[in-house]
Amino acid sequence: MAPSFSDLVEEARLSARALLDYGDSFFNPTVRLGVTGLSRAGKTVFITALIHGLTRGGRFPVFEPYATGRIARARLAPQPDDAVPRFAYENHVRTLIEERRWPSSTTDISELRVVIDYQRQNGADRTLTIDIVDYPGEWLLDLPLLSKSFEQWSAESLALSREGPRAKLAAPWHQHLKTLQPEGQEDEQAALAAAKLFTSYLRACRDERFAMSLLPPGRFLMPGNLADTPALTFAPLDVAIDGSAPDGSLWAMMRRRYEAYKDVVVRPFFRDHFARLDRQIVLVDALAAFNAGPEALHDLEAALSGILDCFRIGRSTILSSLFRPRIDRILFAATKADHLHHQSHDRLEAVLRRAVAKAADRAEYAGAAIDVVALSAVRATREAQVARGREKLPSIIGTPAPGETANGEAFDGESEVATFPGDLPENPEELFNGGFRGLSSTASEQADFRFLRFRPPLLERTDGDVPALPHIRLDRALQFLIGDRLQ
Amino acid sequence: MNEKTPHRRPATFKLDDPGVVVIGPDETTRPARGTVHITPEADPVTLPVPIEAPLVRTRRGFRWGALFWSAVGGLVLLGSGLGVVNLIEDLFARSETLGYVALAFAVAAALALAVVIGREAFGMARLAAIEKLHQRAIEVLRSDDRAESRAVVTDLLKLAHQNPQLARARAALTSHADDIIDGADMIKLAERELMAPLDEEARRLVSAAAQRVSVVTAVSPRALIDVLFVFVAAMRLIRQLARLYGGRPGTLGMISLLRHVIGHLAITGGMAVGDSLVQQVLGHGIAAKLSQRLGEGVLNGLLTARLGLAAIDVTRPLPFTALPRPALGDLAKDLLRKRDDEA
Repeated sequence: MAPSFSDLVEEARLSARALLDYGDSFFNPTVRLGVTGLSRAGKTVFITALIHGLTRGGRFPVFEPYATGRIARARLAPQPDDAVPRFAYENHVRTLIEERRWPSSTTDISELRVVIDYQRQNGADRTLTIDIVDYPGEWLLDLPLLSKSFEQWSAESLALSREGPRAKLAAPWHQHLKTLQPEGQEDEQAALAAAKLFTSYLRACRDERFAMSLLPPGRFLMPGNLADTPALTFAPLDVAIDGSAPDGSLWAMMRRRYEAYKDVVVRPFFRDHFARLDRQIVLVDALAAFNAGPEALHDLEAALSGILDCFRIGRSTILSSLFRPRIDRILFAATKADHLHHQSHDRLEAVLRRAVAKAADRAEYAGAAIDVVALSAVRATREAQVARGREKLPSIIGTPAPGETANGEAFDGESEVATFPGDLPENPEELFNGGFRGLSSTASEQADFRFLRFRPPLLERTDGDVPALPHIRLDRALQFLIGDRLQ
Repeated sequence: MNEKTPHRRPATFKLDDPGVVVIGPDETTRPARGTVHITPEADPVTLPVPIEAPLVRTRRGFRWGALFWSAVGGLVLLGSGLGVVNLIEDLFARSETLGYVALAFAVAAALALAVVIGREAFGMARLAAIEKLHQRAIEVLRSDDRAESRAVVTDLLKLAHQNPQLARARAALTSHADDIIDGADMIKLAERELMAPLDEEARRLVSAAAQRVSVVTAVSPRALIDVLFVFVAAMRLIRQLARLYGGRPGTLGMISLLRHVIGHLAITGGMAVGDSLVQQVLGHGIAAKLSQRLGEGVLNGLLTARLGLAAIDVTRPLPFTALPRPALGDLAKDLLRKRDDEA
């Protein structure tokens, strides 16, 4: 598809923006850290733990500038964008430490700026500014739409909704779809009903038992301030990919709204937050997919590769940083690694490496540095060996969240349990070939994996001071992401 | 975990269940049969990772000294070149044959100089590469970076390629290249495979040199001879160690190596006081009671041994993590035992 006029305008706007940013960062070195992750991957917790560790002092032996004491201090600073809400770091820390709850899911975009005062290895005093943006993970699913027409998107959504466990969930919407005539007169009520049914199908897919990831458009799930606007009132239609819509038809209306959605929602979001990133961490919650089943795992893989295609990746050069900033380091992180015994972390990393293999190869080819890590921004568990008869199970101990169930028993959120979540296979292909059973296809007693959700850890408070949060490999992630900028 | 195990099913145990017993990691009592035993483990992430401080800080910033010496060297070379050209011209004026002879000498000298400079540069580059490798290995031990550990091991294999004794170790290490091994573990594995035979040899070299020095000191008639001999033996030892670990130092390389060794000795000298001063004094005391010369011999031998240990630290391409660092104590024991046998 040849670039249209609006694409060119968009490109020019991005370049102008980049030039402006470059001028800024010339005097005030800034790293724009993109924290990317689908919903429930743990973006908010990661950002909170990162800021907390930097500003209040965490245990970061692998983060070299911090461990060697070259970072004098890190402080929060007013963010650059006045129109974006501030990331409620203090509230999130309080929720984590005092209430021992995970922050509730993000509903709107927010931003925070951290300034690090450090001394370079040659002794010069410098500051580095890190801008971090938090946003609902659902919105991320919109990025692949930028390059798709309404007809393409309709065809893909329909094909997807007829596969595997989705077909059952999509049945009511499919029934309604049959009654629609794309080429008939435009009809607001029909569009409303279709959008509603389509949305409820998307919502159903998100349930823990299915844990589907590929659910565009994201604002249907997390509308923000756009709820009930025409831009959010459309649904896929059963139309030919290369057909053209007659004037005044339902098809034309849906297509107009789809384009409006891209213009009003997706493009500004991409322009303001993704086109300008320098470093990127992609958080992936693979464990939820293990819980649900092979379909969820494939869905996750597809969603990730669609999203990663949208990023501008490659080695930074002076010219590129002037006009077209590129992401030159990407870290793929399997979050919630504390739900596994550390002996299995290598296998978890292998699974993630397999899931992002295509995107990682492409990024590596473009010259970006890639790493894969199993991490846990806030570590909620301890490790233990459980001996049951002759069997030894490498397990973890933690407090499951209230309402979690295992072996048909519900937990009250107070008592601790030791749990062995199931062996990850040595060869990740076994998982991708569908060799395991999840909650989407079988009862919970039969599933091959069971990863409970744990409450945040109980921390000992030392007189009025906010305690440091325990973590797994957060320091390694930091070293990879910003360590070289603090040399 | 390495053997093929069938997939084990998930299981969950409540800690307050009567059938579940929580045992401390140190308790050895065996609770009743039929219960489930849970042993909390030490946190592997927060366990201290022993990392040695970088030996000699790599220099940063502009090296004015190097510029000065380069410039002076260039001027001297130009001056001598001018002198030689004049000489050859004069000789041509006097007799064509003499001129050609002188020209031949000049060409031969220039050629030899080029080769010498090339060899020196190669030797220096190789020493620098080893030092860099050492730093990178330390970095990997800290960051546990898998890709970087592979790169370090590949470079190490290249470096070790010339040593025929390591053929089997190299093959063993290459066979592990595709296994899933964490970065730090990979470095440790490489150290165990490749460095162990070399360390053995290095220890032998150091203790042989120390013994030689102590014998010569004990029997030499004049102090000046001691000093000269100690110096020569030390240089020889450093060169041997550098060669053993893959370096090819020339004259300039030896000078920079000597500087590093002495710098390292100055840094670690303070740490070594604790572990070995007692032994030194003791050794000196006992030996000195037997004879003053013997005591001096032992002391000189110990000093040489310490120099050798410092040289090992500087020339070894990997830091000591998986293998124990050779201690002065072991060498001193060798030395004293030998002396006692001979005495």
